[in-house]
Amino acid sequence: MKKTHIILLVIIMVGIGAIISTIGDASTYATFDMAKNKEGTQLTVIGYLDTDSEMNYQPEINQFSFTAVDKDGEKSLVVYNQPKPQDFERSEEITMKGYYKEDRFVAEEILMKCPSKYNESNELDNLYKEEQ
Amino acid sequence: MTYINEHILPGQIGQFFIVTAFVFALLSTFSFLLAAINKKPEWSRLGVVSFWIHSAAVMGIFGSLYWIIFNQYFEYQYVWQHSAKGMPYYYLISCLWEGQEGSFMLWIFWQVAIGLIFMHSLKNMRNGSMAVYASVQVFLTSMLLGIYVFGQKIGSTPFILIRELPEYINLPFTRMENYLTLEQFQDGRGLNPLLQNYWMVIHPPTLFLGFAAVLPPFALAIAGLFKRDFTSWIRTAIPWTFFGVMVLGTGILMGGAWAYEALSFGGFWAWDPVENAILVPWLTLVAAAHVMMIEKNRGGTLMSVYLLTFITFGLILYSTFLTRSGVLGDSSVHSFVDLGMNGQLLIYLLFYVIGSLVLLFIRKKEFPRVDEDEKLWSREFWMFIGALVLTVSSFQITFSTSIPVMNALGVVKIINPLRSLLGMEALTSLAPPIDPVSHYNAWQMPFAVLISLLIAFTQYLKYRNTDFKKFLRKISRSIILSIVLSALLAIIFEMTQWMYLVLLFTSTFAIVANTDYWLAVLKGKLGISGSSIAHIGFGFILLGSLVSNAQKEVISKNDTYIAKDFPSNENILLEIGDTVKMGDYQVSWSKEELEGINRIFYVDYYKANREGVVEKAFTLTPYIQLNEKMGNVAEPSTKHFVTKDIFTHITYAEPFEVREKKKNEGFGREANVDFKKGDTAIYNQHFVLLDSLVIDQERTVYEDNEPVVLAVAAHITMINVLGERFSLVPIYIIRGNTPEHVDAINEETGIKLRFEKIDTESGIVSLKAFTDISQEKDFIVMKAIIFPYINLLWLGCIIMVIGTVIALIQRIRLRS
Repeated sequence: MKKTHIILLVIIMVGIGAIISTIGDASTYATFDMAKNKEGTQLTVIGYLDTDSEMNYQPEINQFSFTAVDKDGEKSLVVYNQPKPQDFERSEEITMKGYYKEDRFVAEEILMKCPSKYNESNELDNLYKEEQ
Repeated sequence: MTYINEHILPGQIGQFFIVTAFVFALLSTFSFLLAAINKKPEWSRLGVVSFWIHSAAVMGIFGSLYWIIFNQYFEYQYVWQHSAKGMPYYYLISCLWEGQEGSFMLWIFWQVAIGLIFMHSLKNMRNGSMAVYASVQVFLTSMLLGIYVFGQKIGSTPFILIRELPEYINLPFTRMENYLTLEQFQDGRGLNPLLQNYWMVIHPPTLFLGFAAVLPPFALAIAGLFKRDFTSWIRTAIPWTFFGVMVLGTGILMGGAWAYEALSFGGFWAWDPVENAILVPWLTLVAAAHVMMIEKNRGGTLMSVYLLTFITFGLILYSTFLTRSGVLGDSSVHSFVDLGMNGQLLIYLLFYVIGSLVLLFIRKKEFPRVDEDEKLWSREFWMFIGALVLTVSSFQITFSTSIPVMNALGVVKIINPLRSLLGMEALTSLAPPIDPVSHYNAWQMPFAVLISLLIAFTQYLKYRNTDFKKFLRKISRSIILSIVLSALLAIIFEMTQWMYLVLLFTSTFAIVANTDYWLAVLKGKLGISGSSIAHIGFGFILLGSLVSNAQKEVISKNDTYIAKDFPSNENILLEIGDTVKMGDYQVSWSKEELEGINRIFYVDYYKANREGVVEKAFTLTPYIQLNEKMGNVAEPSTKHFVTKDIFTHITYAEPFEVREKKKNEGFGREANVDFKKGDTAIYNQHFVLLDSLVIDQERTVYEDNEPVVLAVAAHITMINVLGERFSLVPIYIIRGNTPEHVDAINEETGIKLRFEKIDTESGIVSLKAFTDISQEKDFIVMKAIIFPYINLLWLGCIIMVIGTVIALIQRIRLRS
């Protein structure tokens, strides 16, 4: 067997290792219900801001809390121990990474999708609807 | 009906140029293809002429877009979308490529520029490789066509008028002659505030020039396979490959510098999917450049040369697909939105990937055979290993970054059985790792160790075979020096984690060994030292990222006790005028100014001088760019020292209207405080204790010994962080069905308590707490991070680029 064969074998093994670790590290898109059933498990919930409920940012303890609605329409209180993100009110969709704990979702990371930042035509749509 | 004041001419001219560019790219492709098959020079000549016409048309597209943007014709969707009145000149330039259509145009433009040089510098295989080259231009220009064929949209043109957009067809305004007088058409949306930065002017062109530089080697490789001339093309491809390594590398590093300087990532690399998507082809391109060198000097790696060249080109297309298909929408902060061109992009991707691999496997059996095995102590063997490590590293990044794609394809069904084998529970869908940085670092750190080790010693080996003893003698000086040096550095940086220490050693070793090789073996000659210098630079990049990231220190940590299960708070609250200790500094927020659209915060850093007198060291001015149309954006400010950077970033500032409202309202920051007797609650950094519940005889009214009005007083003690105690007695009165409250206010703390209710069954007492915020000082919340020795990283970037330029010049000289 050539040296290159041995190396290729090692490489393939490392590749498989990479795949397995990714499979292991991958998280899952969940709903609040699933998160509640698996308290403490890290997962990703995609939802949107419930604008009817209150948002509260307490700067002294640096805690931001709000109510989010997941894709099944279920509401949950979400706490985020980070400053309130810029223009949170304008977010169209929120990706929350974190876990459930005692009737609330503790978000460790929040990604927002704002309609205006990368999306293209919503704004014009609205303008013309007004006009009609 | 004619519309008043519409400027349709530039759009029509632009559209004409798009169609011309497309048609002549097509013509050029077929002419070159025919010339490659039947070897008739007239077809070749037609190919050249067509490519020139194509190039001129591409310049025309560029010019037309420039025309509508600089004249601010807001009737065009592209202009309205990406520019606005009063934008400075250089941002208008970046509008040219801010949109998807514009960025395709930029890519096409660079391929034209490179294509013309490539076409006229080629001596052999011109027809074959130009056929491939022009075919890529056909695909790319089709992305700009914006026409419908059998109901299927092909491409998206930047020259479409707003009134022509399918979603607005037949709306009332499209039937108004003077619709351009409507308010909506007076100004555009402008450039996204995140992109209003000089980096936006230079970063995309560099990146796309890098994209374009990958095409000549790919075209040559295909032409070589086609013509059964398997190796001679490599000599021509090497300079282009090195050019690509340099430009694409510079582009990626610029992206990192941009993220660090102007965005709020808090670092220069965040393993964001979009960053990964562009890093990966660079890694395989570097690997390709190295196996090409082996093939040229020694032979035997032909298969790897082809595979890596094809993979690199495929990955460029794949990264285009990832960032533009919208598939990363949930996992990345900066991906584009789907423009409905996924199908087209996918066809493009599959055509070249499958096509090139099929051709490779058809021709494979005709490859010249190399029976001789590489010697263990030969340069080519270890260079090859290095290329393999880079490939595996890029495989790992690609695999993890592709999770959203796998999720879309339903791969979760395949993965779940594997997870159950590993004893993990099944997933319902696939999301990226919760902590991407540690996921990627766990794999990429060992790869970095291997790569830096290989970089360090491989140059000392000769092609074919090396006398091992001689090799050891030559390199031992570097080994000893590196051990001493990295031990010293470990002490200076106070590094303890073993993985960091290993990388610290190997990256130091890479720097020392290459410097020694350059000075001792190459006698410091500049012309032939490209690879040594580039490798020194790479070593510095690794060292700089290691030290600045591993030893970074968040000095804005707020350690005030809040609650036991709270994560440590990395943000600090600064009231105006107050001074807070952060690391070695006393920090104070002294003032705020509004300059144009920027809300600038002046944060003063004080430090004790040698005599122990505290004096102002420097002022940082992080700011928030106000943008009503697209949302505000916070921009950091960084103080650069030789040995460290202090990065300061506003994470929260009250909007003006909130501040105003607070001044007028009085009490705010309402919170519910529920407890049983003996419980402790926390409000506004105070412990809240319920001492007792007492009937308030003064307010209670008895009739026949039965209370008709019952007043209950809650005796509350509040304790602040200094241990000071305050008593408050809110009262709750029941008179018939309507409860009444007598609020208790503590002047010192500004806290107001309201006794809301008692639940008689559970015995839970509910209070509402408020704070007087009318007197409250303005505040900001900010984050400050020290990045030690990050200059090593930037130094490394510069050295690496210089090294690659020298290598490139050397390769061009060798070719002629």
